[in-house]
Amino acid sequence: MDKLEWAATWLECDTRFIPAHYQPASLIDLALSRGVNAHRLLQGTGLFHEDILAGNRVTSPQQFLRLISNLQQQLPADDTSFLIGQQWLPGHYGAASHALRHAATLLEALERLVRLQPLLWPLLRLRLRIDEQHVWLEWGDSFGADAQGIFLIEASMAAVTGMSQWLSGQRLPWVFHLAHDQPRYIEQYWVHLGEELRFACPLNQMCLPRSYLHQPWASASVTAGQVAEQEGLAMLLVLPAPRSLLDGLHDYLVQHARQPLRLEGVAEAFGMSPATLKRKLHKHGTGFQHQLDRARASVAMDLYQSRGYSSEEVAEYLNFNDRANFRRSLRRWTGLLPSELRDWLARH
Amino acid sequence: MKSMFATHRIKLMLLLVAANAGLLLHLLAGEVKPMAAWDWLDIAGEGGSAVLLLTWLGLLLKSRPAGYVTNLLFMGLACLFFSVFMDSVDEFIALPEAVTWDGWLESGPMPIGFILMTLGIYHWHQEQLVINEQMRNRERLFREHRQFDKLTPLGDANYLRAQLQMALAEAAAEKQPVSLIMLDMDDFSRVNREYGHAEGDRLLQVLTQLMLLNLRPHDLLCRLAGDRFVVILPHTGERQAQVLAGELEQAVRSLAYKTSRQGERVELSASVVALMARDEDAQTLLQRLNITMARAKQSLTVRYG
Repeated sequence: MDKLEWAATWLECDTRFIPAHYQPASLIDLALSRGVNAHRLLQGTGLFHEDILAGNRVTSPQQFLRLISNLQQQLPADDTSFLIGQQWLPGHYGAASHALRHAATLLEALERLVRLQPLLWPLLRLRLRIDEQHVWLEWGDSFGADAQGIFLIEASMAAVTGMSQWLSGQRLPWVFHLAHDQPRYIEQYWVHLGEELRFACPLNQMCLPRSYLHQPWASASVTAGQVAEQEGLAMLLVLPAPRSLLDGLHDYLVQHARQPLRLEGVAEAFGMSPATLKRKLHKHGTGFQHQLDRARASVAMDLYQSRGYSSEEVAEYLNFNDRANFRRSLRRWTGLLPSELRDWLARH
Repeated sequence: MKSMFATHRIKLMLLLVAANAGLLLHLLAGEVKPMAAWDWLDIAGEGGSAVLLLTWLGLLLKSRPAGYVTNLLFMGLACLFFSVFMDSVDEFIALPEAVTWDGWLESGPMPIGFILMTLGIYHWHQEQLVINEQMRNRERLFREHRQFDKLTPLGDANYLRAQLQMALAEAAAEKQPVSLIMLDMDDFSRVNREYGHAEGDRLLQVLTQLMLLNLRPHDLLCRLAGDRFVVILPHTGERQAQVLAGELEQAVRSLAYKTSRQGERVELSASVVALMARDEDAQTLLQRLNITMARAKQSLTVRYG
């Protein structure tokens, strides 16, 4: 296997790269305005309110996740994640936010969101897929946000929904696929996202008819947007590393999904020993097999949803010779058997 | 809650002085019993009662503003406490036979305390009726403070579901129609975005007041989520519900809301839909209402300026 030359280092859950006055600050502001005690909110995060106000503190994903966890405990309202999400995009992150604010179309906004992701949406990874009819947004976990996963998914979807509604001037007919079960507070989803909700899905996805991608957005200033994007890209170069280890691994696994993949080979491609990769994955609360399953779920859903493959074709594409084996594997990746998945796809 | 205690400081001081004076009197007149003579059961019973009464006093003062009813309840509890306290002091201090006032100290305040408490609770009841009037349109039949949304404060989605279930059962039993109105602000996120969350919160409070003013006595307003509200209309058919919905919509449109900082007028409008309950459960009904709202919103193109 070929070695990855383009990244010697990775963003990991303990890499400090998220400016505390970006996303964490607006979270803190919302919490304080709702009467949460600042000391309790910051407890165990290693952050101090004064530092954040000074504007020169960078935090790690771990610290940020701890902050979110504290918030969930201190402000147990059902709408917190949605409100935070709406504030986080386009946000106030200098050039990167300007680049979003002045996107000329939804496609441009989404592409900028993907390119400037470490600045705009540091904890989750947005993967964009456009097929003949639809645009698919899939949210992946960049740093092992397990316990805060649902919170972040709610925030992400509310953010993109809110931003696209604001900038396009209309409610877009998004369809939401959520991996978790329908929560008790379904009304929050109705109000902040929309009515087209599917729970217990294989992946966390948002879907929209492709035609909305190119509708011009009136309030955009094209030149300002382009300049801001260049500035944003320059800001990315200053980061300790260009992207997260889990994202890099995911992409690698997706790219090589047709080959047999083993920890040893992948570790070699990443220029580290198998023990090191294992340790790093463990630090993120995950393991190689889990990441491999997720990557294959992505690939399989792409084949089913965008290319209209049958289960036989998907199995063949992924080099499964044994049908029973494929059934078992698909169940592990997506939670559904091939027949169930076919029904599910037909319904949605 | 920057302590309601502050307004009660004098009352607490008086109680403290009285309790101490009683204790001193006992000490002056009698002498401390040896430990062997202590009756532990009495000490636990009487002392425990005194501690509990003190706790009640604390909770009472912490939760109520000063006033007539509070004073009655306080004095009642204070008398009871004093009486029980004297009783427990008795367990530690032996008084000579000649002393008779100790019986008065123990038993005198007790009936006075009970009378004052009774008066207090009676007036509390009167007060509650007045407060219920203020809570009109915010709650019906049962109170559950954990299901009240802190911001507006109205019943939340859980309270709504419980109430709706009751209203549906009631309507089925009485063969009466029940209808629902859903109100959703158009483009509310713009307010949050342009003026900040505090302004959005304030606007939600104002809208709540506005809607309450436009409802009939037995209607119930709840906050479903965000800027979406639901009104339960008992004994109401669909046509009348539509009329009420139209009135709410108009009320929101005519509201000349000004931002708190610049006093800038914010143009407001709401989508309001109404429908009558069929033979269905609360969740299905809410879902149907929500779909109706989604259709109403779809035909709406929001303009930003």
